[in-house]
Amino acid sequence: MTDADYAKTSKPHPNIVAIEVLKKNGVNVEKLKELITKGVGAEFTTYYYYTILRMHCTGLEGEGIKEIVEDARIEDRNHFEAMTPRLYELGGALPRDIRKFADQAGCPDAFLPDNWEDINSILKVLLEAEQCAIRSWGEVCDMTAGKDPRTYDIAQRIMQEEVEHEAWFIELLSKRPSGHFRRKFAGQSPHTGSQGGLIHL
Amino acid sequence: MIHRLCNAQDIADNSWNVFTVNNSVDVMVGFRNGKLFAFDNSCPHKGAPLSKGEFNGDRIVCHRHFYEFNIFSGKLENMPSWKKEDTWVEQNPAWRSSGDLKLYHAFIKEGSIYVEIP
Repeated sequence: MTDADYAKTSKPHPNIVAIEVLKKNGVNVEKLKELITKGVGAEFTTYYYYTILRMHCTGLEGEGIKEIVEDARIEDRNHFEAMTPRLYELGGALPRDIRKFADQAGCPDAFLPDNWEDINSILKVLLEAEQCAIRSWGEVCDMTAGKDPRTYDIAQRIMQEEVEHEAWFIELLSKRPSGHFRRKFAGQSPHTGSQGGLIHL
Repeated sequence: MIHRLCNAQDIADNSWNVFTVNNSVDVMVGFRNGKLFAFDNSCPHKGAPLSKGEFNGDRIVCHRHFYEFNIFSGKLENMPSWKKEDTWVEQNPAWRSSGDLKLYHAFIKEGSIYVEIP
């Protein structure tokens, strides 16, 4: 029994053309569902751990990056919200047990480091998390480019924001210019969001 | 079932190609110091495509978390710690755990590379 079997219905359903066309385009749908499940797992756990990291951005230096961490935190949650409906459209499902969900996540837990009072130590953890997410969604983009426009569209929107997050944290650590201004409001998600909502809402 | 993939000369030594067999199995096939190897392109740890990795001796290093698998035995031979700094907290064992590579039998016959997919 797979993680998604609990979500199967007892009634037969008609052929799903939206999946059929992907297979005809050469998309390995089972593999795609696996990568998406791991990707949204990473976004969700990152949202949780970024909450802790943001709470520990303290003092004069911490106050300066708190809002940037908050942007990344909310936008990572938005990524989970943006891609999860696609997982179900493809016939996948989130693992029933959140413990299993976290363990299968495609990126490591962004644990608060022991020396969190050094703000650079928090920034390094944030940077690693963003870089893993870029690799992860890049794989989904590669797999779907020219074959599955719907998944590709969502994944590339997520990628764009993850790339911006990486640039922010690199700028804060090394002073290399990120090229971006701050968001208009916390967690704006200029690519996965739309007028303050999400692309599906 | 046995599948013909390509001419042996189409893959240079110390490089690889990925072939999709039956529209469902991605097989990474290549030569390492003249020796043929073939395995599933999906990293047993978190499913990343191993074709984005690089060689380290006879190991393939996954680009996502840098796990290293022996391309001939399939064994996980190096599972790097997440503690990139002493003050970082290690990942839990359930997240870190990984199986070995899924190897496929590959061979050369009359100048062509074949792979057997069960």
